[in-house]
Amino acid sequence: MAVVVLRIAKIVALWTLLVVIALFFGIPLVWLVLSAFDPNASPEFRIPSTISLRNFMLLAEPVSGVPPLMWIVNSAIISTLVATIVTITSILAAYVLTRYSFRGQGAMLTAFIVFRLIPPLILALPIMILYRSWGMMDTIHGLVLAMSALILPFTMMIAESFLRSIPVTYEEAAMIDGCTRLGSFLKITLPLAAPGIATIWLLSFVTSWSQFVLPLMIIKTPSLMPASVGLQFFFGEYGRVEYGKLSAFSILYSLPVLIVFLTVQKYLKRGIAGLVSR
Amino acid sequence: MPSIERLKDMLLEGTGARLLILPALALIGIFVVFPVIWNIYISMTNYALTGPRARAYEFIGLENYVRILRDPSFYNTLRVSFMFTVFSAIIGQAFLGLGLALMLRAKEPEGVLGKITKALKITASILVFIAWIIPEVVAGYAWSAITSKGGLISMLLGINDDVYVRYPFETIVVANIWRGTAFSMILFTAALEGIPQYIYEAAEIDGAGPWYRFRHIILPLISQAILVDFILITIWTYGVFTMPFMIVGPSGQGGVAQIWTLYVYYDAINVYEVSYAATAANIMFLIVLAMIIVYLRAIGYLKKW
Repeated sequence: MAVVVLRIAKIVALWTLLVVIALFFGIPLVWLVLSAFDPNASPEFRIPSTISLRNFMLLAEPVSGVPPLMWIVNSAIISTLVATIVTITSILAAYVLTRYSFRGQGAMLTAFIVFRLIPPLILALPIMILYRSWGMMDTIHGLVLAMSALILPFTMMIAESFLRSIPVTYEEAAMIDGCTRLGSFLKITLPLAAPGIATIWLLSFVTSWSQFVLPLMIIKTPSLMPASVGLQFFFGEYGRVEYGKLSAFSILYSLPVLIVFLTVQKYLKRGIAGLVSR
Repeated sequence: MPSIERLKDMLLEGTGARLLILPALALIGIFVVFPVIWNIYISMTNYALTGPRARAYEFIGLENYVRILRDPSFYNTLRVSFMFTVFSAIIGQAFLGLGLALMLRAKEPEGVLGKITKALKITASILVFIAWIIPEVVAGYAWSAITSKGGLISMLLGINDDVYVRYPFETIVVANIWRGTAFSMILFTAALEGIPQYIYEAAEIDGAGPWYRFRHIILPLISQAILVDFILITIWTYGVFTMPFMIVGPSGQGGVAQIWTLYVYYDAINVYEVSYAATAANIMFLIVLAMIIVYLRAIGYLKKW
């Protein structure tokens, strides 16, 4: 009897803890969803009396002269460019890093770890200063280049470990059959690395999609802004915030990230696990 | 002039192919390495965001560094950053993440009870995960809203005011725990999965209690993961900008919650003292660099192990 009571007490304790944790992590998210569908949204946590899509509809109408949906389109354009640049350059670099050996290679890999861990603000400040004299302030290409460089050390490490896991012997066999060195890489290794390449593209897409500091420092014109900084215009003067529209916008803006992470989830967990068992 | 054939050979075979690394190196060189160096130069000038010192600035040597080391607001931001990192990363994220990982792998009983346990586990871990992946500005907005006057948190605390104004430091600490716990949870879950089941069973048969098992079996086996986790989340938390920026603003509610990233932003953008901001950023960068070196040492040590 005592054993049964103890076991039930244990289960109840575990449930209580899990519920408390779920509430702590869930409340801000649930509030976000509830207020997005609430035409009279406020910071208050409540079930909307009428559920409507009005907040979402209003996103097509201008805020500070720009329809908020345009910020999402801008984000899509910027992130697509960044992801494509980053994927191509990191695959090329990883090809050299895994297929050739040269002096300073170890130092280079160490440097990438350092670059990957530098807080973005440390770079955003001097980049802003440099862009002011290079005439690259407030330009999409300026933002895309800086963002690509910020993400590159991270994707390069992923690309490197992916290409390293594919044996060079496949390429060597193709070369014996008369393929050129690069040809064998393009025809044999690249298709094998396709899932890895897709992962790199998606991860760099969402990283740039969520990036805030760089566009905050570089882009000043509302119509050029990506969603992360365009969002500030929902905060009106004197602390008045348009909660309903902002929540609706936040949900639209978060959706691509959620979708991508659900697809690459397994790989991500393996990557983090790789930090402990090398 | 080399023929097309020769060019193709150079590019596709042998040494020429190594040049394919150049686009990546150029990007990183121009937009990562050069800015870091440029920041050092700017910190030795009197460059400002607007006004005459924006157009014609002068080299002033180490003046900014002398000034900042006598500036009480700089010591304030150092202290706030340190406390923020300790409370939010080590005490918050790491412990909550480890606790969650242990809970997630707790054995589920048979039948309905087990199904409920499993559903709760999945719900909790999905919410922790979503908090980690949504864009930082969205997370910052949600937290600033629920800690506003009339929001759930102020109701719970019985405060008729903005919680982030009354308790700015506590708000950004808790918000950042909320944001970053998932990483520790996933890392520790992976580390715990790496422990073979028979070790637990053997310990249980030998009569080891739960605390003994945790202290003498689990803890030593995941010590590598703990080391890696502590260092990484410390580096990341130290560099956090966006969420605190959204919640307490660049002034950090009059300095109370002004972590160094806010301090740098505030100096550069709000009071136009860009070179002073660069000075602060450089000193803070040295601290990050020291932490990164510790990390490199640690993973080097783990590899040999």
